[in-house]
Amino acid sequence: MAERESVDKLLSESGENISDHLELLALMGSDFASSRDLETTLAKAVERITRYLDAAGGALFLLDETGKKLRCHACSGATEIAGMVLDSDQGIVGRCVQENVGEIVRDVSKDASFHGGVDAETGFTTRSILCAPMSVKGERIGAIELVNKLGGDGLFAPSDLSVLQGLSSSAALAIVNARQAEALVEQERVKRELELAAEIQRSLLPEARPEPFPIHGINVPARTVSGDFFDFFEIEDGTICFNLGDVSGKGMNAALLMAKTASLYRCLGKTITSPGKLLAILNREICETTTRGMFVTMVGGHFDPVSGVVRLANAGHEPPLYRRRDGTYTALEAELPPLGIMPMAGPEEDFPETEISLEGGTLYVFTDGVTEGYIEGDETLEVEGLKAMLDANADMPAADRLNAVISRIRQTEGPLRDDLTLLAVNDAGPARQAVGVGLLRINFPSLPGKLKEVREAVTGVLKEEGCPAALQADLVLVIDEACQNIIRHAYKGSTEGEITLEIRRDDDDLIVLLRDFADTVDVTKIKPRDLEDIRPGGLGTHLIREIMDEVEITPLPGNSGNLMRMSKKLE
Amino acid sequence: MKHEIRETGGASVVAFEGDVDLETSPTARKVLLDCVGLKRPVLVDMSEVTYIDSSGVASLVESLQAARKTGLDFALVSVSEAALRVLQLARLDRVFTIHATIEEALGG
Repeated sequence: MAERESVDKLLSESGENISDHLELLALMGSDFASSRDLETTLAKAVERITRYLDAAGGALFLLDETGKKLRCHACSGATEIAGMVLDSDQGIVGRCVQENVGEIVRDVSKDASFHGGVDAETGFTTRSILCAPMSVKGERIGAIELVNKLGGDGLFAPSDLSVLQGLSSSAALAIVNARQAEALVEQERVKRELELAAEIQRSLLPEARPEPFPIHGINVPARTVSGDFFDFFEIEDGTICFNLGDVSGKGMNAALLMAKTASLYRCLGKTITSPGKLLAILNREICETTTRGMFVTMVGGHFDPVSGVVRLANAGHEPPLYRRRDGTYTALEAELPPLGIMPMAGPEEDFPETEISLEGGTLYVFTDGVTEGYIEGDETLEVEGLKAMLDANADMPAADRLNAVISRIRQTEGPLRDDLTLLAVNDAGPARQAVGVGLLRINFPSLPGKLKEVREAVTGVLKEEGCPAALQADLVLVIDEACQNIIRHAYKGSTEGEITLEIRRDDDDLIVLLRDFADTVDVTKIKPRDLEDIRPGGLGTHLIREIMDEVEITPLPGNSGNLMRMSKKLE
Repeated sequence: MKHEIRETGGASVVAFEGDVDLETSPTARKVLLDCVGLKRPVLVDMSEVTYIDSSGVASLVESLQAARKTGLDFALVSVSEAALRVLQLARLDRVFTIHATIEEALGG
């Protein structure tokens, strides 16, 4: 009667005395509803069921994810078998799960399915078994098994089975609910982590800089995180490093490799300006450490805004497009495979570089997400479509041009096929009269009220340069008059325009550069008026030509504005 | 730019002070044309003009032409160095009558 004693002990320990199975159901229900720890709740339920049905022992088996194994998650009473694993068709419990039918086995010794291994292991003698399957909407979950009825004739009755079946259904439902809740929590957690990762990724992208800064980029991830990236940063000598890359794949692994590659490039790029050397170092690093099969296609570049010259190295990336001022294109093919595929022959060997003078043109670097992006139905943008978009928006500032291309792709329904990343290196061309030393560079709106500030800034710079007072006054007048012409004629009085003023000194020459973003002006219509004809207006141009040695107005390509260049020898 | 109008010896004396530029010249133009409208000789005191641009000069030219049409005298008085330089550059220093002082202008 040792079995009987142990259950009595359990009963007295818990202090519970449950009189009918409805009460037990209610208790179990409230346990499942209030607890977040499924395993503990299951253990409690098994203990209660075992006691209520007056069995020597009870165990709850659940099918694992593969559905091929049954594992004991909770047990109570006679034997400690928690953690035991059976094949899913092994023993009476296995048969019960497979057939999804409850069973009473009055004498296990007469049942061929009885798996004697447990008794052999535990020293317990199983005489009879009561077993009820757990399933929800046809999905098999497991079973609850009780052994050896303690009271009465020591045999389980059919009424015991129907009670156990009721209880096991309730447990099954609770298990499914708990699993779904867990999955939902996990899903939420993953989503939150992805969002955090995306935030970090966005912080790796450079901040947009307004014109006339020459480099502009855009990145639109297809999912939360992106395998694409671009970057640009100025170094001390005023030149700019830039890059654009695409990591194979689009998941978190791609995002992490992207973060690594971008960070390495930015860090090394501060001291190594040669893109060929940088890509070679990155290639070695990625080959050494990256997961098999992952690679990065990448374009590294170095732009000198003074000369308009770009040096490029291309590791297996889509050929960048160089658009000349006259609207013709050249594609710059990659010469080497992507980063992470194979180390260069020699440890000191660099990636080959291409050098091009942009001469007022623009270099576009992009990922295949752009050219393979859907525009209408199954139609993709392709390189020709990209060129057409760039041509159609040639008059717009670079950042708007890039946005126009992106919006062309995003108009299609459904999620993006791939990350979209696009970068433009805009050479100012004739505006790049960057000879000598820069003395002043300011941007201001086309507002008459701003001109006083401009005059003061110019006076300050000229004073600093030791320019004689009379010449100072003349030059201030010239710059003021030139700004007025821009406000009144180029912008036609609109205060929405923007003017960039740059003053440089090249030996004894003072060079004044004024750039507007208005429509192209007809240079032939700008002429000083006949001074014999005394009338108000038209004096400004005369004053400018009277004072300056050279005056030249150049319309900028693609109707992107005008550049006025004036020079004066400082005696 | 600030301005002040007073009447001396039968003439309107308009004194400008500060910068006459694209922002302020519309005011200067209106003040000058209003004075011409008073049918009295107009003297423009430019001693305190620190800066004048082509739009300011244009206001002077327009007012001079309006005065001539009605047979009124229109003269500039004690023109600051800064303003004189601009008039010279515009070859207008000989188009305008320029007096050294108000007294001289009234005496003449």
